[in-house]
Amino acid sequence: MSGPVSMSDTRTSTIPAGTSAGERRGRTRRAAGPARPKRIRSRQLATALLYLSPALLAIVFLRLAPAVSAVVASFQESGLTGGSGWAGLENYRFLFGDPGFVNTIVVTVLFNLVVNPATVVLSLGLALLLSQRLPAAGLWRALVFAPAAVPVAVSGVIWSVVYQPDGLANGLLTALGLPEQPFLTSAGQAPPSVMVTVLWVAVGYWMIFLIAGLQDIPRTYYEAAQIDGASAWQRFRYVTLPLLRRPLAFVLVANTVGNFLIFAPIQILTNGGPEGATNLIMYDIYQQAYRIGDVNLAQAEVVLLMLVMLVVVGVQFRLLGSKEGR
Amino acid sequence: MNARAVAPRTAAAVLVSVLFLIPLWWVVASSFRPRNTAFAYTSPFGWEALIPVGGDVSNYSALFNGYFLRAVGNSLFVAAVTVVLGLALSVFAAFALSVLRFRGRELVFGLVVLSFLIPFDAIAIPMSGQFRDWGLSNSYLGLILPGLANGFAIFVLRQFFLGIPRELLEAARIDGLGWGRILVQVYLPLCRPALVGAGLMLFLSQWQAYVWPLLIGTDSEHHLAPIALANLRRQLEVDFGQIFAGSVVLTLVPGLLLLAFQRHFTESLAATGIKD
Repeated sequence: MSGPVSMSDTRTSTIPAGTSAGERRGRTRRAAGPARPKRIRSRQLATALLYLSPALLAIVFLRLAPAVSAVVASFQESGLTGGSGWAGLENYRFLFGDPGFVNTIVVTVLFNLVVNPATVVLSLGLALLLSQRLPAAGLWRALVFAPAAVPVAVSGVIWSVVYQPDGLANGLLTALGLPEQPFLTSAGQAPPSVMVTVLWVAVGYWMIFLIAGLQDIPRTYYEAAQIDGASAWQRFRYVTLPLLRRPLAFVLVANTVGNFLIFAPIQILTNGGPEGATNLIMYDIYQQAYRIGDVNLAQAEVVLLMLVMLVVVGVQFRLLGSKEGR
Repeated sequence: MNARAVAPRTAAAVLVSVLFLIPLWWVVASSFRPRNTAFAYTSPFGWEALIPVGGDVSNYSALFNGYFLRAVGNSLFVAAVTVVLGLALSVFAAFALSVLRFRGRELVFGLVVLSFLIPFDAIAIPMSGQFRDWGLSNSYLGLILPGLANGFAIFVLRQFFLGIPRELLEAARIDGLGWGRILVQVYLPLCRPALVGAGLMLFLSQWQAYVWPLLIGTDSEHHLAPIALANLRRQLEVDFGQIFAGSVVLTLVPGLLLLAFQRHFTESLAATGIKD
């Protein structure tokens, strides 16, 4: 066997001091003697380094370093000659004084305040409905899930065609005797139209997770509640909801993170319009960096977005994760 | 549930399913209507919009004649390489973070968690500048690399590894197995759902990729399929038939994968502790 760095070094098994020897053959091979945890640890450290380094390199260079560089760049400004100088908080001050950016914040927050609770409520409702023993239940589940297979950019393309003046949406409305709608070309209707696109893909996806969570709740709990005379609402409120808390928290957090980053549907459906009504932050960052060409301002927006996301994730984990009793 | 409740609930289930399905169904049906003839049936609306009688497959043959075909090939290639390399990378890292004991483990794990809390799309813009400086903007390497750093895949695999009884590990150690063989012979066979789940995650992340390839893949040789589809939509004279057909193709691939592996996928995510 080679030196302490060898990853195939096999003999230093971590046998706890007081194991009953019994059938542990390995123990006799090496006079076990007093355990040497330090040496064992350092050997494991070498193996760990070897195993971790590719992933760590990728994570550091492709995730953490760019995040740090965004933070640094957000405190700089680029001069006309291409060099960059220290700007302090100037980029941030400029952003918060810019009505365009304030609009982006308002639009992004409102969008998320509607779309995230809507996703959770709809996917929970559908999970409750479609986890019951209905005829062909699996088929209905598969059909609701089907749009989840649609890549995000493709969902944008599909709904851009659905919302066309002569597309499916207006066709169905007129067939039902309802007036045609402008959808994406109206500042009032564009945000809900984008939300429908987003919900269409997300609801079936998260529903699957909630159904998995529902199926893990022991049936005996419901039977016991029924014997105690609990109504359907009480069974939902006092059995289902508490036991579904973790899947619900997961869905809410993961979905919120995803929705703060919506880009493709905006770029394909509305380009942030009309009149900035759908100018969500990721699209604004992209515009700032590539259309307007002020990379440092874009970085400041990236930093703000990252901060908001970390706060959202942190708060949601605290709210929903800490009340843990079991 | 009593028998009386079944009928209205089934009706509700059917109604919801139809609502979710209609846009997709319409896209599939319209993909058999050549060029822009599909709109003749939505305005005014007729049943032929959903049943493409008299349609043909000309959109598909037009689509698979060059640019789009190449883009689909690019997407498949990039996704496949990402799955293989990304899984290898993540499996070893997850093993180190769950089985091996060493100083600094918690710190490294913290970095992994932090890495998937940093939204990739948000840092994609600063990173794309970096990639251009490195000369990676028109290369497969540039498209693949960011997909490899998937902290969430590591996280999922780690949680699954933690669920494997340590007695198995100790027995293997006593039998004289090295870490590498313990990983391959003991852990991996027990972690099929997590491997499939993580692999699927890596595949979908690349199949869906839009922001990153938009930022760096500038020449049409290296366009990925979603970019190609969006470009078809942006052309001056849009051929909607091809857009319908392209949407079907781009949805069919992940759809079939999810259908085949759905159970593994949710099982592996369930192991991350979203369930009690």
